[in-house]
Amino acid sequence: MDILQSVVNYILDLGAEVFVPALMIIIGLIVGMKVRNAFNAGIILGVAFIGMNLVIGFMLEAITPAAQALAELTGINLTAVDGGWTTAATITWAWPYAFLMFPIQLAINGIMLLFNWTKTLNVDLWNVWGKIFTAVLIMGITGNMYIAFVGASVVAVVELLLADLNQLQIEKVTGIPGVTVTHGMNILAVSLMPLDWVLRRIKLFNKKMDASALREKIGVFAENNVMGAIIGLLLGFAAGYSVADALILSMQAAAALTLFPMIAKLFMEALSPLSEAINEFMKKRFKGREMFIGLDWPILAGSNEVWVTIILTIPFTLLLSFILPGNEVLPFAGILNIGLAVPALIVTGGNLLRMLILSILGTPVFLYAATYFTDIITNLAESTNAVKIEEGQRLTWSTIEYPVIRYILTELGSLTILGISLAVIWVLLFIFYRQQMTKRNKELSITE
Amino acid sequence: MKKVIVACGSGVATSQTVASKVKRVLEEKKVRADVQAVDIKSLENYIKSSDVYISITKNTKEYDIPTLNGIAFLTGMGIEQETQKLLDLLK
Repeated sequence: MDILQSVVNYILDLGAEVFVPALMIIIGLIVGMKVRNAFNAGIILGVAFIGMNLVIGFMLEAITPAAQALAELTGINLTAVDGGWTTAATITWAWPYAFLMFPIQLAINGIMLLFNWTKTLNVDLWNVWGKIFTAVLIMGITGNMYIAFVGASVVAVVELLLADLNQLQIEKVTGIPGVTVTHGMNILAVSLMPLDWVLRRIKLFNKKMDASALREKIGVFAENNVMGAIIGLLLGFAAGYSVADALILSMQAAAALTLFPMIAKLFMEALSPLSEAINEFMKKRFKGREMFIGLDWPILAGSNEVWVTIILTIPFTLLLSFILPGNEVLPFAGILNIGLAVPALIVTGGNLLRMLILSILGTPVFLYAATYFTDIITNLAESTNAVKIEEGQRLTWSTIEYPVIRYILTELGSLTILGISLAVIWVLLFIFYRQQMTKRNKELSITE
Repeated sequence: MKKVIVACGSGVATSQTVASKVKRVLEEKKVRADVQAVDIKSLENYIKSSDVYISITKNTKEYDIPTLNGIAFLTGMGIEQETQKLLDLLK
């Protein structure tokens, strides 16, 4: 037993870039991948870790001094650098217990289908990482791995229940029958619904606006290189840099934002044979049954309203990060708040004006959640050796998806009074959401 | 070599899933093509240099190159049909 323990520790100490690929190769062989393909996928995974490490290190090196200069110049302390979801995913996959979430999610989905508690088969196995990340956050607060996995399982259940409720609305937006979105970001819709319920009653906020013309005009600001260059330049000036230094920072920021997705897709490339094998397995089990297929959020990415909302929220996010007392997050790689705009799209049914208001109202919640979870994210990055972090550098994700339930679960995991009360309120909100969506689904199916 | 692009919200997850799947299908059929996952926010920049666009969203715009239904590759429903269309386009 001691020998086994020391072997495991030895491999863990080699860091995520060796440990996770090794695990991936073993799992690949177990699920019957060809040896060549299993090794291929495993090595790509290692490349993804090293690549992300390089870009995150590059980003921290460029941004942290600017953030520190800003703090000295203005007293505004924004030293938690936002690495976006690609950074969060990298750190999450490096967690030694990450892969355990696959069988847990499959079992939950299988049982819920079997007992007719859901109609959705979630085939989006990439976003298992969101549940692992939830477990990581709960683990960081409570220190208890069992509670962490229970909390992550709650998310997996809620995702499926919401995927059922949202299916018709999503079909209306995408025009694709039989599919829904199982991404956890839509859990935020539960908290947005009461706000929208109020806004809907005000005549002004029911105006239709043409999002496509607007997107045509401002769409360029959402392109990674352009957005990075602008944020870098603004940050350089805010930090009191000379024009030359600000221009250099601007181009470095553009480079980081452009490179992040290029490298992050290597994770997907490595994991896709595994997720395909699991999908085939699940589909075979539930063949011939009428089901909704649960997919990742980008099937909604054709919605102009989503992009216009995301882009118009950027200046508010930057402004709020500077003026909100207690915020420590410097929005950067994660500044596009997809996890706010997409649930807002579902809640409002695509009303641009209300989506915008919900996004602006929701932004402080995201910034505070990111501030709150910064130390956990930074510590995990260090302890797994997934990312090399220098003294004084801090990492976070400014737009942590479904922040509300994640916060509640960490509090509930510690069994605080606050946690229990918030959980009760959340359940009531969920009941309200279900009632509202059931009503809407009736209307939607009549008009069809 | 002809170029096929798949776009999603970030050019990372869904698009790469579809791209990997399409790559494997094409390998089986011994068809050579360059399949790339791209960011939908920069789609316009990629369309010009590509031959086929595999879309996973409802298209609000018409593009100059043939567009295929990427959802088929995700769900498996209608995948044979879309594969055949792709093969014809790559001939």
